[in-house]
Amino acid sequence: MSESAGANAPKPSSSVKLVLLGEAAVGKSSLVLRFVNDDFQENKEPTIGAAFLTQKCSLPTRTIKFEIWDTAGQERFASLAPMYYRNAQAALVVYDVTKPSSLTKAKHWVAELQRQASPGIVIALVGNKLDLTNDGGDTSAAAATESESEPVKDDGEEGTAEDGEEQDTTPGDARKVSTREASSYADEEGLLFFETSAKTGTNVVDVFTAIANAIPESSLKTGRGGAGTGQTALGGRSAEDSRVNLGDRSAATAKEGCAC
Amino acid sequence: MIPWSSFVQKAQSLIDPANFNIPSLSSSDGTPSKASLFRQQFRLPDSQNPLQEITAELVLPLPNSNSGSGDSARRVDRTGNRYTGRLHLSERFICFSTQPTSFLPSATLSASTNFTGQTHGTGPSGNGFTLPLSCIRRVERLHSASHVFSLALTTWNGLLNKQQEPNFTPQRLILQLVGSRQACERFCDTLKKGLREGMKEVDNLRLVVSDCYSEYLLSGAKGKAQEGGEGDGRPPPDAGLGMLFRYPGDARKLRDRSKMRLWGEYFRENGRNATLVRQPTFHKLIRVGLPNRLRGEVWELSSGSLFLRIRSPKLYQETLVKFQGQESLAIDEIEKDLNRSLPEYPGFQSEEGIGRLRRVLTAYSWTNAEIGYCQAMNIVVAALLIYMSEAQAFFLLSVLCDRLLPGYYSTTMYGTLLDQKVFESLVEKTMPVLWEHLIKTDVQLSVVSLPWFLSLYINSMPLVFAFRVLDVFFLEGPKVLFQVGLAILRINGEELLDVQDDGSFVSVLKTYFSRLDESAHPRSENPKLRAITRFQELMVVAFKEFSGITHSTIEEQREKHKDAVLENIENFAKRTSIRNLGPESKRLSVDDLGTIYDRFYETLYQWQQQQKLLEEERRRQEKKKSERLSVLGPPADTEMGRVGLGPSPTHMDYDAFREFLAATSKWAVSDTPAGSRSDSSSGFGSLKGSSSKSLLWANRRQPADHEFMQRLYRKWATDSDEGLSLQNVVNGLARLKGSPDIMNNINYFFNLYDDSGNGQVDREGILKISEAFLFLSRRGFEGTITATQSLEDLNSPRDRDHAEQNTLTVDERFLGSVSAFIRRCFEYADPSHPENQKASQQDATTEVTDKLDSFAIGDDEEDLIDVDDSKSNKPAPNATSKPSQSGDGEPNRPRSESANPALDPNNPLHITLPTFRMVILADELLEQFFESYFPQSFHLSDHPHPASLAASSSLSSNLTTFSNIGSARPSNLATAGSVSVGASGGIVPPGKGLRGVLDNIVTDGIRMAAEVKKRMDEAQRDLERNALGRDDDEDEDDDDDELRRDSNAAAAMAGGISSWGAGAYGGDMERRSVRDADRDLLEGAEVLSVREKGEGSSLLDNKDEAETKGQHGAKGSPSSAHDAEVVSKVVEFES
Repeated sequence: MSESAGANAPKPSSSVKLVLLGEAAVGKSSLVLRFVNDDFQENKEPTIGAAFLTQKCSLPTRTIKFEIWDTAGQERFASLAPMYYRNAQAALVVYDVTKPSSLTKAKHWVAELQRQASPGIVIALVGNKLDLTNDGGDTSAAAATESESEPVKDDGEEGTAEDGEEQDTTPGDARKVSTREASSYADEEGLLFFETSAKTGTNVVDVFTAIANAIPESSLKTGRGGAGTGQTALGGRSAEDSRVNLGDRSAATAKEGCAC
Repeated sequence: MIPWSSFVQKAQSLIDPANFNIPSLSSSDGTPSKASLFRQQFRLPDSQNPLQEITAELVLPLPNSNSGSGDSARRVDRTGNRYTGRLHLSERFICFSTQPTSFLPSATLSASTNFTGQTHGTGPSGNGFTLPLSCIRRVERLHSASHVFSLALTTWNGLLNKQQEPNFTPQRLILQLVGSRQACERFCDTLKKGLREGMKEVDNLRLVVSDCYSEYLLSGAKGKAQEGGEGDGRPPPDAGLGMLFRYPGDARKLRDRSKMRLWGEYFRENGRNATLVRQPTFHKLIRVGLPNRLRGEVWELSSGSLFLRIRSPKLYQETLVKFQGQESLAIDEIEKDLNRSLPEYPGFQSEEGIGRLRRVLTAYSWTNAEIGYCQAMNIVVAALLIYMSEAQAFFLLSVLCDRLLPGYYSTTMYGTLLDQKVFESLVEKTMPVLWEHLIKTDVQLSVVSLPWFLSLYINSMPLVFAFRVLDVFFLEGPKVLFQVGLAILRINGEELLDVQDDGSFVSVLKTYFSRLDESAHPRSENPKLRAITRFQELMVVAFKEFSGITHSTIEEQREKHKDAVLENIENFAKRTSIRNLGPESKRLSVDDLGTIYDRFYETLYQWQQQQKLLEEERRRQEKKKSERLSVLGPPADTEMGRVGLGPSPTHMDYDAFREFLAATSKWAVSDTPAGSRSDSSSGFGSLKGSSSKSLLWANRRQPADHEFMQRLYRKWATDSDEGLSLQNVVNGLARLKGSPDIMNNINYFFNLYDDSGNGQVDREGILKISEAFLFLSRRGFEGTITATQSLEDLNSPRDRDHAEQNTLTVDERFLGSVSAFIRRCFEYADPSHPENQKASQQDATTEVTDKLDSFAIGDDEEDLIDVDDSKSNKPAPNATSKPSQSGDGEPNRPRSESANPALDPNNPLHITLPTFRMVILADELLEQFFESYFPQSFHLSDHPHPASLAASSSLSSNLTTFSNIGSARPSNLATAGSVSVGASGGIVPPGKGLRGVLDNIVTDGIRMAAEVKKRMDEAQRDLERNALGRDDDEDEDDDDDELRRDSNAAAAMAGGISSWGAGAYGGDMERRSVRDADRDLLEGAEVLSVREKGEGSSLLDNKDEAETKGQHGAKGSPSSAHDAEVVSKVVEFES
């Protein structure tokens, strides 16, 4: 994907620690896998603690190297989470558009991050499994649709491997969380918001690009060498104590795309 | 516990300290108990306790092929190998180890602080054996010339199989006991007893042993099968999926065959499976890696899970059958991961492998529901299943979760987090430069190392190497994980020092793991050095360089970091759960929620602790051995009682809820310090002093038990069988405290008593409400209610005695308010049956109050109280509130009916919420009660929600005017307006019976208070009667009358004293010292009035006394000064 990004550029490069949080089986690992390898992997071992991956993302002015911590979703691993989101500059809070409880859990995570993570952390709320819905982005009251789950065999998505409950056979819209509900919540809390499909790849790269754009320049550490001091400076960052509200900017920045 | 253990210590000093022990159930402090150290040392099941211990010499016949040497404890002579060590005896095991044991006999009984010795409970290291007594076939006393007390143990080794092996000689161990003759005899006696018991388990042993691959190997069946299988054709026992899907790694490269031969030889000379004797070769053979087919068996043996399996060989199958078809969260979670457990191993791409994995994980999740299923267990179990049968894996998993990796897979994973902290601190200690670098670059080590520990390196290293680590791990214990981890960092130290971030840190190690099979010294001239793989290097570094990392090092560090880790987890859990309590909770401040949270869990844990102690006590009384019901599960002395330690109880039952309320509100504290609940279900106090913990519990305030609390409990619970969850409690409190709205509080209270849910509270409910008022107010109002001299609801008699009235305390005035409340309720009550309306409309006001008065003065009705008491399981702790059986308002009460036409079920009445509201707001004190006292009586944090304070005054001023209510119900206004003038607050309504008596007295305004009290008692009595009427018929009543009269006489004396201290409004003397003076004044007045009333009214007082006497014995000790005063009054009264 982005192998060229690092090579061709005198562009400043900086690494960003990003953590993925969310209920089990919403497709966190799938999102990362799609982003990092543009791939799926069936029967991937469950994430123990957290998996670590990196991927570069090239913006017009700079290169962002994401250090992605993909955390385990099982409830009891939640108490390990503080270890992973410590010093994270960005977080992807993932829910499953077909599972309302996962949005609740996502809200819990957002609240946790807002209170406990580094100030100024960029949070993106991501509704995954868009491929299971009819509209793929329609904001009309899709949540009202009570039709049964999908027959779609999305073999690539790790999430489905974990999804014991969705085995209905009626074709139709499995969406249970309306875009409006989630996006208005995201607006309220000042989060980036996306609906994605790790299976089809819809919006996946856009999420990461938007995050890359949303990271305030001042909080970026540059290059390897400065990392040591850069990181420590991170903890005491005072300039952007207030969270940056990017809700409305995200649409534009997503278009810019990145080289990955 | 304290007196008992000191007794034991005394006894020990008198007898032989080494041989007198009782099993200790648990240690109160952090240090492990001797029994638990003993079990850890020999990997024994939890039921085992050290009974006997003696120094001994183990003499083994010299094997023809043994070439090992170098162990100092061993010397070879004519008779064979000799090992000196300690011989231990437990209920079902005899164990010998040359390693100095970690539990000195001089250590205190419950805890060994002198925790010395090298093994520190790391498992069966050292030379020796751990024999189930059932393995011993025969014990002979040998007569040796040197007067040595020697025993020869002949074991079942090899004899449990039907077929005899060629050249088989029975295993015979010779033990020479070193000690006084007496000590030796005592040891033998205990051994004899144990052996008798052990006989019963021989069948189990046979069952288990026949499954062991070692038996198959030694029986020669394997050879025969290969030759053509004409022998018995016995199929090899299940040695894991590897037999079907190949074992990982290249068997030739692993030199599996030669390892197998070596083990075969070892087994032949030293016994196999349960009868194996550990000699130095054993440890060496394990270090070089186990052969595939024996791996499972040796794991099972060295981890001790074999002993569990011998204990109940069929447990695995039984568990599966028992829970067949049932569902659980754990099962759902397991199902999700089945396809993702070692997917690269072909066995787990098949239904066979996945099926086994599913069954083992499921069975374990049933046996230990507290752990259930944790991701990573799937990986570990999958690995185990490659080498062992399902049953073996099941028991081994249990040992893993409960003993070897305590807390790793628990719901809070505190064990995992704790060991990460320990690991970090060890890195800091042993590799300070690297540690500093990690700190500097902000690389968080545990992020990398956590999966190593959690999945035992299985998904970090290539499988073949991970299994080698496991080989040692099962023998030597958790320290191995640390040693290997440290070695990994040490070996990669230089590269890691160049690392600047998490990412490169991870990748350095990833690369290292992928190259473990390569030569550690690829460029070395020396071919021997070149042949050493990186993995071998790792093992050497781990066990040589870090040999100083022992079990005790780990334990020490764990102890050091435990509190911090648990606190972290608990803070996380607390803030998460408080945040997630939902919108309702937002009406309370965060501090309040924190207080509720803490109190909720504190109560639950103390309650749980109490229940546990009771359980232990019960068992002790039954003189049952403290043997566990199941062989599996966490050790008996597992620490509990913290949120951070794992699954917490989530629901409180009613009794725990009482404790919670007692910690929250003064009124929920019982008036009697202890023993108020003498029923069998609780039995507090019986345990007092038996241990420090229960002492602590006993010193706490005892919760009261009142009908109001029951109502609250039912109201708050979503499912009262299940109990109250934190959410329930928070919602309940939020509704009461969260909004400062007096209307809300009044509505809430009304709903509490609206049993039928139809917006009506009937006659009984009204009385119960008034009773609750008194219950809630009996400890004073904490200054939240002030009686202003508003004229709003003063009646004419009061007006007359305005001056005197000023001297009344708020409490007394409140009594008056409650009294007025009842009367008004009846005045404004609606008839329940429309057809009766005409008849009752007018009567309702006069007649009801009327009759209420008239019947109450009769002296036979009061008798019902005692009957009621004896019927009730829970004697009420305070005078004014006897719990009635239920609030169901069932109108079946013939007794009351006949006694009191006002309670005629044919003439039922009820009040509605608006009426209730009106009646409350009509009274200044009741209004304040709802506005401030009631919500504020629930004490949470010091920082309540700002909103709950802000609006209170303004709101109430708007709402409390009578006209406001009136406008809502204009029809009522008319009635209210007209009637209230005449009757509201009138202490003496135009009653027929009572009036005659009262008219003479009423001139004295002070007496009014006494009257109010009496009236309340009447109401109370009426209530009792109603409740009683349902249970008893009249015959019984008559009988009881007689009894009662007798007891009344006594009560006049004995009860007279107490009634003052513990009466309806008598409270805690210290707390209310300021008001005591006032009260005494009043009491003086009351006595006066009593005297004036003379004989006729003294009956009334008798009644009071009788009523209060029920609990005088148990009430708190009033100040002696007050006592004296009271006595003098009583004397006065008597004269």
